[in-house]
Amino acid sequence: MHATRDVDTSKVGAEKPAVGIKAPATFWEKVLFVLSRHRETSIAVIALILVIYFQVGSNGGFLTVQFLGVVLRDTSRLGLIAVAEVMLMITGEIDLSVSGTFALAPYIMALMSAVWGTPLALGALVGVGIAVLVGVFNGLITVRFRVPSLITTVGTLFLLQGFVVSIYNSQPIVTPVQEPFNFIFGESLFDPRGDSLFSWHGVTAFSPLLWTVLVIVAITVVLHRTTFGLHTIATGSNLVGAREIGVRTDRIKVYNFMIAGGCAGFAGILNTCQFSSADPAAGGPFLTLQAIAAAVIGGTSLLGGSGTAVGALIGAFVVATLNNGLVMMGAQATVSDIYLGAGILAAMILNVQVDRLRARRRI
Amino acid sequence: MSSLVIPPLSSDNPVILEMRHISKTFGAVTALVDVSIQLRQGEVLALVGDNGAGKSTLIKILSGFHQPDAGTIVLNGKEVHFGSPRDARAHGIETVYQDLALIGDLTVYHNMFMGREYHKRILGMKLLDNPKMRDLAKNYLDTLGINIPSVNSKVELLSGGQRQSVAVARSIYSSPKVLVLDEPLAALGVREGANVLGLIQNLRRERQVSTILIVHSYNQVFEVCDRINFLHSGEIVLDASTSETSEEELIRIVKSGLGREAIAAAARRIASSKSE
Repeated sequence: MHATRDVDTSKVGAEKPAVGIKAPATFWEKVLFVLSRHRETSIAVIALILVIYFQVGSNGGFLTVQFLGVVLRDTSRLGLIAVAEVMLMITGEIDLSVSGTFALAPYIMALMSAVWGTPLALGALVGVGIAVLVGVFNGLITVRFRVPSLITTVGTLFLLQGFVVSIYNSQPIVTPVQEPFNFIFGESLFDPRGDSLFSWHGVTAFSPLLWTVLVIVAITVVLHRTTFGLHTIATGSNLVGAREIGVRTDRIKVYNFMIAGGCAGFAGILNTCQFSSADPAAGGPFLTLQAIAAAVIGGTSLLGGSGTAVGALIGAFVVATLNNGLVMMGAQATVSDIYLGAGILAAMILNVQVDRLRARRRI
Repeated sequence: MSSLVIPPLSSDNPVILEMRHISKTFGAVTALVDVSIQLRQGEVLALVGDNGAGKSTLIKILSGFHQPDAGTIVLNGKEVHFGSPRDARAHGIETVYQDLALIGDLTVYHNMFMGREYHKRILGMKLLDNPKMRDLAKNYLDTLGINIPSVNSKVELLSGGQRQSVAVARSIYSSPKVLVLDEPLAALGVREGANVLGLIQNLRRERQVSTILIVHSYNQVFEVCDRINFLHSGEIVLDASTSETSEEELIRIVKSGLGREAIAAAARRIASSKSE
């Protein structure tokens, strides 16, 4: 037995073509190498192409303050919910109830204000607090009762939507304007006829986006620079292995459900500040699906283990650009869904192919 | 057969670890029945037995991954309870699992320090000290002569042998009191396997680390182990020092029939013939 093994070693030693990781050689391999290293780059390139396409196609109508303001507002709303999904999807779970939380948190804020005269700031804190509790609920059901989160959160979605609609006879509630609360969280004071873009009023037009960027920076730091982020990746990448080495995977999952709930609630409150009204039917399941699409287009794996917050924001920008750009160019709103669907499929195929190439160690 | 010189284990080495009367069932499946093992300081104990005999379950109880239905673990004379692998690691018990418990999506150095990360404070935030972990991991792997492309590589890019080496390196980095290795040689080539066995010898010689090895190849058992515990159908049917028994006898026991009584009887025969 030993003798044969010795022969084997000499054979391995004599093998001429070098084994191991091959450096990218051809142009195509180099492109795939860059894409696999920086998932955000591929989607950023696509975003850029879309912007150029719509800018040219609309004779310069895309890159205007008014239009970009709309696109970036959609981007911020979608991006905040998408980033809420990113951390969770990295752990290998998903939350389909975020659009319910998105409607619930601001509705509680508005209701408290309308019924008890509670200041909006306090109502917002309560709303986000309840959104986090929704995350605890989703998380505990998923990890304690071993229900797949895909199912848990569909249940929660219906629960929340039914609840929001029934607490106040499905009436939209007009929220009072309380400065500086509305000013800080997204009431657009910008008047394109009189205000300079680089004035305080200009800033308010983009404040939802600034909040989203802030959250994305925070999530990125958490994901890549903290033990919690490391253990989040470990949980999604190798659940059993992570547990064996002492990662508290259940706890990590519940925390990430809480982050998802909190982000979705916050997104809802930003949305309500923009329209000064809390609509119990805000969001809808379609918002969740678009946010998940944004996260996936941005390079987050549906299988867990990898994902980026920045990618989710760019993904959200792509989705918002497609939605608004096609409508601007005279397409029916329904047609943009065709492009969106095709875009998601293309992004998924690209992601899976890049993963497979990486697994085969060709790049 | 290659010869590694084993310094004889002194019998007055204190017992460092005892698992007493451990039983474990998973639903309808009984995995372990009243199993007791003892481990002396600096001892290398081999756990052998067929697939499904309960070896992995036993060490997963020791590592805190499973909790026993009955029985106790005594470490350094004190009864301990491991609610999770975290607890066991905190008590100085390090385990290399059969699946290696490495995170493919993370770098080698993050895997090396998984669960005991270094931090630094930046603006009041407790952030990972990646440069420190990178340097420590690189130096440590170099010291052990473990050859990997880079500590920055994601583990999924490493070969089976490299992964196994990283997992073993992680387990001994913290100078454990008890080292548990489940099939440590499974994915290793001859030279890498010899390195790991040499490592176990060194740890034992220099730091008096006690080791539990799960192995399938009996000649390895006799190369590095002081004592053998043979598990069959969830029970220990043979507990013998390697000086009392031989490879041939062990193989004869295994072949003599798979019935528990048959093996126990064979074990008794050997024990009595040795004591004469």
